[in-house]
Amino acid sequence: MTAVIEVKNLTKRYREKTAVDDISFTIERDSIYGLLGRNGAGKTTVMSILTAQNFPTSGDVRVFGEAPYENAGVLRRMCFVRESQKYPDDATPLHAFRIARLFYPNWDQPLAERLIAEFQLPVKQRIKKLSRGQLSAVGVIIGIAARAEITFFDEPYLGLDAVARQIFYDRLLEDYAEHPRTIILSSHLIDEVSNLLEKVIVIDGGRIVMDEDTESVRDRAATILGDSAAVEAFVAGREVIHRESLGRVTSVTVLGALTAADRAALAASGLDVAPVSLQQLIVRQTQHAAPADEGALR
Amino acid sequence: MNRTLNVVRMQLVNRATYIWVPLMVLGGTIVITLAIFGLIASNGNVEVDMFGGGAQAPLWYFAVVGVQALTLTFPFSQAMSVTRREFYLGTLITAALTALGLALLFVIGGFIEEVTDGWGLGGYMFRLTWVWSQGAVVAGLFFFSLAMLFFVVGFCGATVYKRWGNLVLTISLIGLALLFVAGLWLIGQLQAWPEVMAWFGSLTPISLTGAMLAVAAVLAGGSYLMLRRSIA
Amino acid sequence: MVEEGRPLFLQIAESVEDSIIDGSLSEQDQAPSTNELAAFFRINPATAAKGIAMLTDKGVLIKRRGIGMFVADGARELLLGERRAAFADRYLDPLLAEARKLGLGPDDIARLLQARATTTTTEGTAR
Repeated sequence: MTAVIEVKNLTKRYREKTAVDDISFTIERDSIYGLLGRNGAGKTTVMSILTAQNFPTSGDVRVFGEAPYENAGVLRRMCFVRESQKYPDDATPLHAFRIARLFYPNWDQPLAERLIAEFQLPVKQRIKKLSRGQLSAVGVIIGIAARAEITFFDEPYLGLDAVARQIFYDRLLEDYAEHPRTIILSSHLIDEVSNLLEKVIVIDGGRIVMDEDTESVRDRAATILGDSAAVEAFVAGREVIHRESLGRVTSVTVLGALTAADRAALAASGLDVAPVSLQQLIVRQTQHAAPADEGALR
Repeated sequence: MNRTLNVVRMQLVNRATYIWVPLMVLGGTIVITLAIFGLIASNGNVEVDMFGGGAQAPLWYFAVVGVQALTLTFPFSQAMSVTRREFYLGTLITAALTALGLALLFVIGGFIEEVTDGWGLGGYMFRLTWVWSQGAVVAGLFFFSLAMLFFVVGFCGATVYKRWGNLVLTISLIGLALLFVAGLWLIGQLQAWPEVMAWFGSLTPISLTGAMLAVAAVLAGGSYLMLRRSIA
Repeated sequence: MVEEGRPLFLQIAESVEDSIIDGSLSEQDQAPSTNELAAFFRINPATAAKGIAMLTDKGVLIKRRGIGMFVADGARELLLGERRAAFADRYLDPLLAEARKLGLGPDDIARLLQARATTTTTEGTAR
């Protein structure tokens, strides 16, 4: 597989804090990546640096093998509409799409029009008068219709209701299936997007804590539930990432896929097994890794 | 080059900003100035020609356009994957085209005033004597460079704000004001006012045009250097 | 429809296998395409492709160049064999564990089984 983005030892430091702390990762082409993490974890900063809208403090970023800064050849193949994107004064969505058409060589106007209809976007109304959801819709439409080789979506669904979000996911998948490209989607709604993602990169506190295929992670943990003594007996020697008790009942989340023998043992002990969703796994694993930060405000 | 020209098209997509509003501002000022001329003229026989400063109104608006070109269009250009260089050049070209248009209108206005003897009222807002003292072409160039200067000042100020923030911008402006006051004080101390006045008197439109273009070029160059490190 | 805690590609594969077993997808029929499966389950096409690839590796589906994926001859028998082998692990072991908890011995289970089996064969689908 070819890498379209290579990041080595990227650090971004501000006066008050280190937003991105010595991270390295690779993005393979034509995959859908989830860039997941809490608010303030560093997702938008990373995406801004990759698109040369922000600058690294140190480290190396290569897109299509070159540095993206002021590199028109590379930049025109990427699209990054950020979460709170500013638009020209008094511009309407129609203006915005007309401009996008000028700059994105793969822009598909019929697709844009179909999306406009589906999101029921009032294209002639000034952008500053649009609702939060409609504003997000503008960004989403640009992101999808631009068909850029590398497309970033930064929390694209803020303000979109559940129906609109589903439209976004469906249209994105549909267009990706027909026109494969590299998509990087940042989100804090992990479970909602997890089925779209081929790979997940989790950022926490400016560091990468997970960089894997989604499918490998899906059965990585299980929750064992039942009588406290029996539960503790079973989980002894395993890595526990979460523990809750209510009276004599304990619920423990352990890492490691369960074998058939394990399941038999659990059934014999009268313990229940519950699956762990991707969101639960990531949340519990990051909480587990940094208990000291749990009270800290971000 | 193609993408740079597309930046021009991007700036002009909302035709209001660079075309209609400047025209409306100019049109409005003409109407108001003419009304004032008319009022004064109707009050009695006026021996002396009247001069109005209405032509400057679009210039102040143009400075605001310079500011907004950066604060609102630059972030969007980043989303359109445009480089800072393409954005900078394209925006300056757009400003130059608009300034050229305004200058042309200014010259045409001057000709109209010459032909109609001041709108039939003896009132002039375009054919200002000193500006036209070296002819129509110089007058046009003068107005063009004045417009560009206003635009670039707005653009540069906004770039300082984007690059370093509110505090630095405020301090710079205060600093400039202090420098200006210090300059005045110094002239007073050296009792050099007569020399300064003489120098002002000796200025020609072409020399002032040159000076304005030079200042605009410096500010524009500085803006580019700051823009290269600005975050939208 | 989609379960948590299990790889999606396995669930996709199982869904196709279920169709083959219950007869809605016959041998030599064209299997749903990767994109069709992805759109239907609302998942990433690459994941659907992984599921299809697994079935191809198993010999349940075969690829006809330029046309698509088709159900292989003997696929149904293959899957039935597989499921029968796993039947005891998947269904009997939990059943026995629960029965033990409730104090039901093998004879009790056999009696219940006979009673239930006759009622379902008259009401449910044959085979």
